[in-house]
Amino acid sequence: MKLSSLLLRSFATAALFLAVSSCSENLDSSGVCAVLCPPVGGDVQNLTLDAVVLDTTVQSLSGLGTEPVLLLASRGDTLETRVVIRFDSLPATFLPSGDTARPITSVDSAYIQLRIDTLNIKGGGPFTIEAYDVDTTANDTSTAAIIALFRPDRLISSQLLARAELRDTTKYFISNAAVLAKIQSGERLRIGLRVIGLASSSEIRIASTERGAPPVLIFRATPDTVTRPLTVVPLSETPADDPIVARALTDYTVIVTAPPGAPPGVLAVGGLPPRRVYFRFNIPSSIIDSATVVRATLLLNQVSNPSIEPTDTVLIVPELVLAGIAVTDPTKAAQITAELAGDPVKVRPGDSGLTNVEVARAFNVWRSQKPDTLPRAIVLRAVTEGSSPLEIRFSSSEDVSALRPRLRISYTSQVPLRIP
Amino acid sequence: MRKLLTAISIALISSRAGAQGALSLQGLGYPPGGLSARAEATGGGVAGFDALSLVSPATIARAGSAALFLQYSPEFRRVTAGSSSAKTTTARFPLIVGVLPMGQQWTGGLSSSTFLDRSSETSLVRRQVVGSDIDTVDVTERSRVLGAINDVRLALAWSGSPVFRVGVGAHVFAGSNRITFSQLFPDSAAFISTSQSGRISFAGFAGSLGLEYHPSRAIGFALAGRKGGTLKAQSGDTTVGSARIPDHYSASVIYEGIPGASISARVAHDAWSSLGSLSSSNTVAFDGWDMGGGIEVSGPRIMQRLVTLRAGARVRTLPFGFNGEKVTETSFAAGIGAPLTRDRASFDFSIQRANRTAGGDVKERGLILSFGLRVSP
Repeated sequence: MKLSSLLLRSFATAALFLAVSSCSENLDSSGVCAVLCPPVGGDVQNLTLDAVVLDTTVQSLSGLGTEPVLLLASRGDTLETRVVIRFDSLPATFLPSGDTARPITSVDSAYIQLRIDTLNIKGGGPFTIEAYDVDTTANDTSTAAIIALFRPDRLISSQLLARAELRDTTKYFISNAAVLAKIQSGERLRIGLRVIGLASSSEIRIASTERGAPPVLIFRATPDTVTRPLTVVPLSETPADDPIVARALTDYTVIVTAPPGAPPGVLAVGGLPPRRVYFRFNIPSSIIDSATVVRATLLLNQVSNPSIEPTDTVLIVPELVLAGIAVTDPTKAAQITAELAGDPVKVRPGDSGLTNVEVARAFNVWRSQKPDTLPRAIVLRAVTEGSSPLEIRFSSSEDVSALRPRLRISYTSQVPLRIP
Repeated sequence: MRKLLTAISIALISSRAGAQGALSLQGLGYPPGGLSARAEATGGGVAGFDALSLVSPATIARAGSAALFLQYSPEFRRVTAGSSSAKTTTARFPLIVGVLPMGQQWTGGLSSSTFLDRSSETSLVRRQVVGSDIDTVDVTERSRVLGAINDVRLALAWSGSPVFRVGVGAHVFAGSNRITFSQLFPDSAAFISTSQSGRISFAGFAGSLGLEYHPSRAIGFALAGRKGGTLKAQSGDTTVGSARIPDHYSASVIYEGIPGASISARVAHDAWSSLGSLSSSNTVAFDGWDMGGGIEVSGPRIMQRLVTLRAGARVRTLPFGFNGEKVTETSFAAGIGAPLTRDRASFDFSIQRANRTAGGDVKERGLILSFGLRVSP
């Protein structure tokens, strides 16, 4: 090969390599920004406003039985709760293996399968769980009538369970005779559970229908093990005129004794019955419309609540109220919410002092909605709402000025993207 | 409420836009110059006589035949400020030219060249108090600008003889800068990162005139000028600024008395300060001289093709200063040119080493490669 040809080919190769290597742009000259890049955005401005125009404690959930977790607790004079599970439709026949359907004439190995939150069991056990027949014609939502049925003549069964026997899926055996009697009489089987901690107080959390893992009744209609056991899911047929409430009442927690609620003028989150705090703000439109909010913090003064488990951690989350201006009742508005993506706030009931709740993401929605359409409101709720007696308390706007809820807003102004 | 409005107003006034991260990218950006790879290799000296450079509309009369020319010019840049430095790669297509002879004496040409390239990206970390007085976080400000102002020229040239050529050009300056500015916070649970984007469009007109005179075969002179009109900057439908397109004047000389060689030189003046009124911050535009010269010799035959070798040097003032000081660019260049496919195409290559300084601690070095391909259909 001639030298000239070799030179030309080498040059062409080098040129091609350089051309290709320069095709991927790299414009980033951040390495010298300390000298060559003046700050573009302005400094973050911080403002603390007495922006709360309404703060009130409201009942959470939309009614009895809507809790995702059933709380079975016995903590002396402080807390006592029961759990009711309704099996309003029991099968009258069964299908033996390789045969035709037959009437159920016997019940064997009847148990209720419970999905238990084993990470949050309180008390070392052993636990005695009693089951009562709580079927009644009284008003469906009358807890007093239900509580009255936890009496000896209504006792169906009792089972002693050690702490180790409470597993994620626990079998609670009930009387075969009681189940058979209900089947043969065509009556409803409504079971009330009660826990008794023999050595200490007890607190057990059971997944509910709302969680998607309801307690189910399982039994054999024949001793023949080839035939599969029958599984009955909870069902409530009353109130017949309100299927939504009926569905909620398939399983629910009945509160017998609860810790004392917060005094008037104090905001309360969590507890039993569960509560939320509704805040409505008056935020200057100049901030929402003209500035870019990068952080917004609700500054709350926590009030100590030593009544129960004061050092346990409670997670609180802010939620954006989506209820429009037409919903004037804060209790109703506080049920129509959307999560604000963010970390829950960790607090302990016995603590006191300043608590920060980050709510900046609410401004993203408020910027696109006028205040006469969507009130600037948020709700604080406990993550374990309805399944924990722990209650967090805060000073309200009725308190002295220094302790009232305030809103601290950090914002930058829109940078004019213009000629340099 | 009054305090709140005052605070917002102060924040609005104090905010600035324009983090460009290089000496050559200050203000509206870097001017590649409208030179072909051949002209770049001679330090710009031959630009006043080069049909593929956009200095003078008269030069298109030298094309001889219809031609299409495209140039690719990547720049590898290194900026040093004290002990810190940054390396960037910018890919540019600064020049595209079409020339069409119309009869024996007239030639038309349509071309587009990059007038001011502002493509840049920077990130700056600032510590900010966000929330209570002791609550500080590092905010990353990311600024990205893409786009350029381009010079689109329609030219007409007349050449009655090889002694004299004259041409006129009508220029449309058009283009846009797409700007994205983000403020990024480290904890998405507590903070909301922000992002803004915008587009600034530019539009303006200018006219140019060029003359070329060769009193003998050995020497030639060229004069060229461009008179700028108004350049408007718009964001959406709103005019955000206006200025005059800089007037440009140049004079060139070429000596071809040595067989197989030509020596050329050029001096030009750009009234960049006329763009000063378009700047919205403290960026200062300076009028500047652009001087350069070089030599072009017929080199060896490689694969039966006569290769042309070129070398040159150039010094010029860039349009926009840094910290109130002029930015000067000094460059040394070399290159080659070779005919392809029986002279129906040609390839030009140049390499430039450019040093830029504003007299301070900040230094900038650029390595610009230019690949030019001319095709005559």
